[in-house]
Amino acid sequence: MAPVISPFLDPGTHAAAHSLGIVQLRRDHLIPAVLAPNGDSDYAEGKVENTRFGSFPHSTLVDQPWGTQVLASVVDTGSRGKSKKRKRDGKDEGAETPTTDATETKRDIVKAATASSGFAHLIPPTPETWTLSLPHRTQVVYTPDYSYILQRLRVRPGDHLIEAGAGSGSFTHAAVRCVYNGAPGMEVTSYAAADVVEEVNAVGYAPKKPKRTRHGGVYSFEYHEPRARQLAHEITEHGLDPVVTVTHRDVYGNGFNLDDGTSPEADAVFLDLPAPWQALKHLTRTPPPTATVQAVSGSPADVSSDSRTFVSPLNPKKAVRICTFSPCIEQVTKTVAALRTFGWLEIDMVEIQAKRLEVRRERVGLAEEGLRGGNASAASVAEAVQRLRDVEGRAAVFHSLQKEKQEEVVRRAEARKRGKNASVEGENGETVVKKEKVSKEGLPPSKHDRLDKAKKDAETRALYKEGRLVHRTEPELKTHTSYLVFAVLPRQWTAEDEEKARKKYGSGGR
Amino acid sequence: MHSHIRPHTHVALRLPSGILKIVELKPNTNIFLGKFGTFNSNLLLGRPYYNTYELLDKDDGKKTAELRVVPAAELHAEAVGDGHAPPPAAEEADESAEGGAGFDIVGADGEVIMRNNRLTVDDATRQTLTMEEIEELKKAGTGSGKEIIAKIMASHQAISEKTAFSLAKYTLRKSRKFLRRFTALPLDVGKLAEHILEKEAYRIMELREESLGLISSWSNVHYGATSRVLTAEDGVSQIGGGRWLVVDDTGGLVVAALAEKMGLLYPTEESDDTSDEDEEPTASPSNDQQTPTDTAMPDADPTDASNRPRKPPRPHIPQMSAYTNTLTILHPNNQPNLACLKYFGYDVGQPSTAHPLYKHLKSLSWLSLIAPEDDPSYIEPELLSATELENMKSSKRGNYYKKRRRWEKTKRVVDETKRGGFDGLVVATSMDVKGVLKELVPLVRGGGKVVVYHQNVEPLVKLVDCYSKERRAAFIAREFGESGQNGKRALEENGDADEDEDFPVNPTLLLAPSLQTARARQWQVLPERTHPMMTSKGGAEGYLFTATRVIPVEGRVEARGHGTRKKRKTAVETPAETSAAETPVEA
Repeated sequence: MAPVISPFLDPGTHAAAHSLGIVQLRRDHLIPAVLAPNGDSDYAEGKVENTRFGSFPHSTLVDQPWGTQVLASVVDTGSRGKSKKRKRDGKDEGAETPTTDATETKRDIVKAATASSGFAHLIPPTPETWTLSLPHRTQVVYTPDYSYILQRLRVRPGDHLIEAGAGSGSFTHAAVRCVYNGAPGMEVTSYAAADVVEEVNAVGYAPKKPKRTRHGGVYSFEYHEPRARQLAHEITEHGLDPVVTVTHRDVYGNGFNLDDGTSPEADAVFLDLPAPWQALKHLTRTPPPTATVQAVSGSPADVSSDSRTFVSPLNPKKAVRICTFSPCIEQVTKTVAALRTFGWLEIDMVEIQAKRLEVRRERVGLAEEGLRGGNASAASVAEAVQRLRDVEGRAAVFHSLQKEKQEEVVRRAEARKRGKNASVEGENGETVVKKEKVSKEGLPPSKHDRLDKAKKDAETRALYKEGRLVHRTEPELKTHTSYLVFAVLPRQWTAEDEEKARKKYGSGGR
Repeated sequence: MHSHIRPHTHVALRLPSGILKIVELKPNTNIFLGKFGTFNSNLLLGRPYYNTYELLDKDDGKKTAELRVVPAAELHAEAVGDGHAPPPAAEEADESAEGGAGFDIVGADGEVIMRNNRLTVDDATRQTLTMEEIEELKKAGTGSGKEIIAKIMASHQAISEKTAFSLAKYTLRKSRKFLRRFTALPLDVGKLAEHILEKEAYRIMELREESLGLISSWSNVHYGATSRVLTAEDGVSQIGGGRWLVVDDTGGLVVAALAEKMGLLYPTEESDDTSDEDEEPTASPSNDQQTPTDTAMPDADPTDASNRPRKPPRPHIPQMSAYTNTLTILHPNNQPNLACLKYFGYDVGQPSTAHPLYKHLKSLSWLSLIAPEDDPSYIEPELLSATELENMKSSKRGNYYKKRRRWEKTKRVVDETKRGGFDGLVVATSMDVKGVLKELVPLVRGGGKVVVYHQNVEPLVKLVDCYSKERRAAFIAREFGESGQNGKRALEENGDADEDEDFPVNPTLLLAPSLQTARARQWQVLPERTHPMMTSKGGAEGYLFTATRVIPVEGRVEARGHGTRKKRKTAVETPAETSAAETPVEA
């Protein structure tokens, strides 16, 4: 088997074919794509990601350095081959799995032409970007929660972590990042090797025999079979299978040991289950008394035969940390009661209140009239007064004009009455025009004038640095995700252990 | 790590009052816990973490107290209040002491089903014990404080009037005051932060655990020893290798949190015997009750050696020499301030060569990065020939080698840093963050993560604004818009003087800059008394700026020259719409 290099752990310099890349269109709009430059597709350009910001054929993504801004291509999305079923969704992973053979060689991929507009960024996958883009199967554990959970669980490289209720796998990916410290089947690079060699040479002692390092691992349990299969598929696709063991299992009944009966020796446990208290009976160091189990589960459970061949799924040499993730307070109460019964310590319940802030410039002022993104009310008292003066000024002129017009009409009517000749009339008309012109010159700007001016000014203004800089919570706010219950189970300490420690260190003060 | 308490490690002892006391556990020393008593450190060495120990009464002839592990059931019984088994519903169902006025719930036969606090009299005289008497009892010091509490309770006139919950609270309050107990907790990054936050929050920029978690996640920091260091297309720059760049004004707390995630925080020996053999007690020569396994003996010896005071390293191990899985820290002074690392066995002044940070933590000053030619430690000392060296006095020769090595170290770190390609950048500084990012963002690889923490939101708001969509559009227009039309000229007229002011950073280098904050709200979970904590600590909220380093399209001028004309035209006609088309990723 070729060495596995996961793009999550070491993306390399370029986006490689057949591995996962993320196409980022907007901040929260990311498309995960396993890049298949020769993949089968209805398009002449091969596999294509179609978005509202343009089409991105995989051939334009593969072998691009990570972080590259990729320009959209011209793809004919209208006239695809009618022989095949239409693929609506480019990111549908299930659809592109069996594409590698036969059909691949059949047709040459047309080189895509760059479109005149639109682009996206090609970025390497991380648990954060994956969380934002993964195909939802269940409720997802989002970054503010999982980052805090992993921090509190003190998950470090080399640790083993049990995760039950794997769900959509966002926590799985984040957990892998924490426990990973190399794995059999994952390549050890020349540089890393050089580090080791140097160490051995430099120390000058007899070279230590290669240490038996404990490799980190995530033991993931999911009782919904299609979800478990889908997760296992994703994990393999992401090159994380040496670190993750996905098991399809009902953990309430069957516990956390692996299918071959061995213990995962977990240092940390994360339970995202509807009834975590029912799983706790399996997370003990010694077989729990049947009475306790029944008290917790509230029903006569059958834990009979297991107790004889009891293997604890926990690491016997360390304190084990647990976190349960429950949305309802009733679940928390039951979980905490069960944790107390099973002797867990340091029980602590918190909820994470996270928010994202948006930053914007708030432009206020009459100069914003008719512009986008500005508030066109007066910015200050002075501006308001000026505007009122202008309006009043215009009104006064308008009224005086009206008055004049009226007078003119009256005058004309009177003239007609008196039966005067046309020459006088013409004289009068001239004076009116003159008057109007004079008054318009000193007139404050009309609304139409103002809008024109504002539009013209906007082109020379540096809007990006105008206005007041403000921040506020983003409109979409998650006010509650789940309650997090943390607890610690210290390692078992027997009288013999105590005796040994006493012998080794003495009791002091004698 | 943390499988049991080892000699010379720092341990956080939580006292009944809730205060964390940090002690370095040296063998054969007395640990003084103030009014709670004194015990010998040997009683704690080799024991597991997270247990609560009770200081037993002194036996005759012993100077210090023995310890007893308090079983979990006992602790929980005290916390819950009314014994372990759920008590009858009648006693249990009652409002909490803070609940305010309540009513007696009286059954049909006039029997009071629920007691309430209507009869409670707030009067200090109801406690018949005087202060002097309590002091006397404390001096007598019997029953690890339990007797005092029992006496106090007995002397309270109205103890029977208390509701079940207020009685539980009263007992708990007295326990916190008089019980002679402590809980031994491992001093990890979270506990250390908690401890410093209590008194000197400013030293760590009021960094709470929530923020530490967010920093670790968004910076994508992880074990990188297996990562490849690759050369970029230009043939000079390098990319990747599990290297992170850090600016840390939190006294090393951020470095510690990152190092923990990279597997660098704890000495390797320590982690080895947790994973391999944990049979040290059996392996000790004085013990003959069990034959140790083969691997136990050789493993146990180096462990002991590493714990002894530092020996001068004979064969030189170059510091800061690792290629992968490294943290590079930039510091404003001559030496980095990494005081927090001393709790994890790494003393920056005299680093132990056995600690992983010795090779994997690189540090350089801002001077070395910005102007290495002005930094004396970057200038190569004279290279002497072998004969010249032989004629030197040994002390002078030593000095010569010391200088050469210092230069080699500085040069190696500075050159490597300048070649860039870091997997991420983490900044927690009181300096102006715009200037920091201007220098350091170019050193991050494409797709690398940039994370900036600040306790206050304002500096980060300004930073986000520097990367705003509008500013980016203006920047692009200015850079590439010579052939463009109106609007852009106004910017050019301002000239270069304004360039730094308007564009302190290159806004095209970061994608999706965003700002967030998180706070954990603590709850009390007790039967029938579950609610959020009534009080908690205020202070700085702590904010995080995150973004991804990207590589804008190369040769933008040509690319735009052809395709842009159309865009530009639409830009004139409908300025609002183009900004969306040009910059799909919103700020």
